[in-house]
This record gives sequence, C-alpha cells and structure tokens, in this order.
Amino acid sequence: MKDDLFSRLATVHRPDCAIFADGPAPAPVPDPETMARDFGSDAAARYAAACRPLYEDLRRVVGQLAGLLILAQLTTRAEVADLDELSTCRARWQQATDRLVGLAVPAPLQPHLDQLRAALDFSGQAVRTFSDLRPHGDNTAAFDRIAASVQRAYAHLRAASSDRAGLEMVDLAHACCSCGR
Amino acid sequence: MADYSIWVCEYSYVADYHKSGVLYGAHNQGYVKLPYCYVVIKGRDHVAMVDVGYNDKDYGKALGDRFKVENWHDPKTVMSEIGIAPEDVDTCFISHAHFDHFGNVEAFPNAKFYIQEREISKWVWAMSLPDRLRWMMVAVDPGDIVRGVELARDKRLVTVNGALADVLPGIDLHPADDSHTWGSMWVTVRNDGQAPSQDTWVLAGDLIYVFENIKGPGDAVGEREIYTPVGLAVGSQANLVLATEEMMKQVDYDDHRIIPVHEERIRDTFPSRITDKGLRITEICLADGEPSKVAG
Repeated sequence: MKDDLFSRLATVHRPDCAIFADGPAPAPVPDPETMARDFGSDAAARYAAACRPLYEDLRRVVGQLAGLLILAQLTTRAEVADLDELSTCRARWQQATDRLVGLAVPAPLQPHLDQLRAALDFSGQAVRTFSDLRPHGDNTAAFDRIAASVQRAYAHLRAASSDRAGLEMVDLAHACCSCGR
Repeated sequence: MADYSIWVCEYSYVADYHKSGVLYGAHNQGYVKLPYCYVVIKGRDHVAMVDVGYNDKDYGKALGDRFKVENWHDPKTVMSEIGIAPEDVDTCFISHAHFDHFGNVEAFPNAKFYIQEREISKWVWAMSLPDRLRWMMVAVDPGDIVRGVELARDKRLVTVNGALADVLPGIDLHPADDSHTWGSMWVTVRNDGQAPSQDTWVLAGDLIYVFENIKGPGDAVGEREIYTPVGLAVGSQANLVLATEEMMKQVDYDDHRIIPVHEERIRDTFPSRITDKGLRITEICLADGEPSKVAG
C-alpha cells in the first residue's frame, strides 16, 4: 500500500483489515452455557462440551500460524513453509475440520457454530497461503494475505469464546494472577 | 550524573495471592498482595518501558471474576501521574510473552517492541505439541501473537537473539532462557552511561517477584539467606537461580538495585506515593534535572 495521504484517505482501512475479508463479520454470539441455561437443553450442554476440543484446535492453529508468520516476516525466509511446525499445524487444522463436521448443534446455537466455522475457514486459507511463499522473491503480498486470514480467524474465534463454557483464549491456570482458585 | 529516570507504575493488583506463587516451596504460608506494574524509563531522547501490561477489554472480566484482579487502569491514566503519555513511548522491552506483560501493545502506537527470539520460536514449537503437553503453553494468549504479526509487518517488532548491549544508550538486554518462560529477558540501565557501570539498575521482569527471591530463607541448608526462585517456571527453577546470580553480578551484589515489579514492599525502599486511583507510583531514580513525581 502506498503510504500517502490519498491512499490513507481513500481506503480508510488498511487493505488487509479483517473487515475486508469475505463473509459475515465476527460478532459476539450467546455462549453455549448461557444458551443451555436459558433453553434448559441437554443438547446445548452436550454441544458446549463437544466444542472444547474443536475450540482448542482452532486456538492452537491460530496461535501457531501467527507465530510462524512472525518468523517468516522477520526472516523473509520462505522455508518457514517447510517447517515441521507447519505440518503439525496443518494436521491440527484437518482434525478441527473433522471435529466440526461431527458436531451436532441445537438450532439456537447455530450462530455460535458459524463463528467456529468461519475461524476454521480463515485459518484454512492462511495454512494454504503458506504454500504460495517463494524462496526467491518478494513474499510481502502473501504475508499480508496470511496476516489478514489469521487476524480474521482470531476475531471469529474470539467471538465464540466463553470463559463460563471453558472456551478461553488464554490458559490462566499458571498465570501470574492464578491463585489456585 | 544520571541519564535516565525510572518509575514503577502499578496498573492493577491482586489483593490476596498465594505466597507459593511468588516464592518456590512456600506452601501454606498465606497470601501476599501482588501488584501488576510496568516500568517507565525516561531519558533525554527516549521514553522506554519494560512490559506493557494487559488490556482490560480482553481479559478484565475473566481476571476479575476468577482471580480477583482489581482496580485496572489504562496506561493513559496510569502514566499521566508521571507526566508521560503512551504516545510518547518509543521503545518497549517485553520481558516475556505472558498476557499481563505483552497484552496491551495497541496502547503504545509509536513504540518499537523488543522480545527474545526464543520467546516466539519456542511458542511456535509449544503450540505444535500434542494436547497432553499443553501445560507448556500456559498463560500466553494467541491474540498477543496475532498482534505481534502486525508489529512485525510494520517493522515495530524486533526479536533479539540473546544479549544485546546499548539497545538504547546505556540500556542492555539479557536473556534468561528456559526460566520463567522459554525466552525471558531482563533489562539493565547503566545510568552513568559507562561500561562497566557504577550506577546500574536491573529491571527483573518476572524473574524476581519479591525480595525473598534474592534473600530467601536458608535454614534448610545452614545458610542465613539463599536465592529462592519464584514459584512459576515453565523452564526450571535452577535457571531462575542462575539468572538471579547474573543480575547480582551486574550490580556488584547490591540487591537494592534489582527491581522486582511484583513486589509491593518496594514502596518501603524507594520514594512512592498512592494516586487518587489507589495505585502506586514508585520512583527508582531521577535523571539530572528531572523533578520528582512522588514528592509531596
């Protein structure tokens, strides 16, 4: 992007702003536990429990992709795409895909599942875009596409987060604030 | 002659924190207050920080509900007490990637962030491990790494491979691998600009939580005092003790010059005041000509 006044005024957002990615923008949705309580539904409770491994997969995929992208950006080395860590990330993304397919969702919780699906889709785009990196050449555009996808995946996953349902971005069990509570 | 002023700024706290968290092996010994702080270093040409705290928007509710973290205030409010705006900060040294140290980068739009390369690379590795090894990735928010992507793209993220001298004039970075985290880092300020220095301050990050980490009880081994590491380590307590020794060497074994930011009692050893928000400002030292921000 040209960093001149016209470009900034004309585009308002950066071209890789998550808002520009395809699909509905992330929005907070009722968390599974709240839905289960409100609807008194065993199915909702089962869904909340079944969500946790999928959520954890996606959390890990997004975190890994972000870390790998930082390494790629800082080193400008396309070989990041050949690292074992990307292979395991790809495998975990596939595992998340399989889990999502097998997830039974009560109708009121469909918006929650939609956020998880969007996180899966955008992280999948990011995983695939690593294959576009070229050993010799400018990979800036590919980096920007990966970044946009990762940021969007994170935003959708955050929208589906619920500490009450055990869907948390950060494990605070051993954080400085954790008092064994 | 002093080149830099240094303040420890409290931005939140936990009133009752298990002592065993801050001092290894101190089980069933009650609770201590755990202040959450960052360090501001102001020189003639630079305003730097050690760590940036966390963003209450993202973490506040969970921390408040579950861990009784209270009285969070944003950097603009906290730093106004020392006459500095977040926009003035040009350099941030991230001691480690835990959310309460690396979780508010967006509040400092003009800063360049320094973090140990190992803190990022080992994060990527840890995230790739099987679920049964999940313990090795606690307390880091993927969102902070996602924000690191933006910083890297904007050339505002600098990864450091080990020690780095004079990252700013008189300010050095020191690694503490496999200690509190995989790639923890501590900072020295040589306030006379000399090397070696007679006026060094160590900003310890989470490698030292409280005074007892330096002067812990030594009865069990027949000593009056021994280094006793912090309770939380993803690496090892042994490496924490070794890092403590390195810090002590830097200050010629004058432990007064090692600043533990989670230590409430530094208010008793350095000039301090409580703001109208109920948070503490502690003044470690003042540069030549800089007026005190804590004097009545």
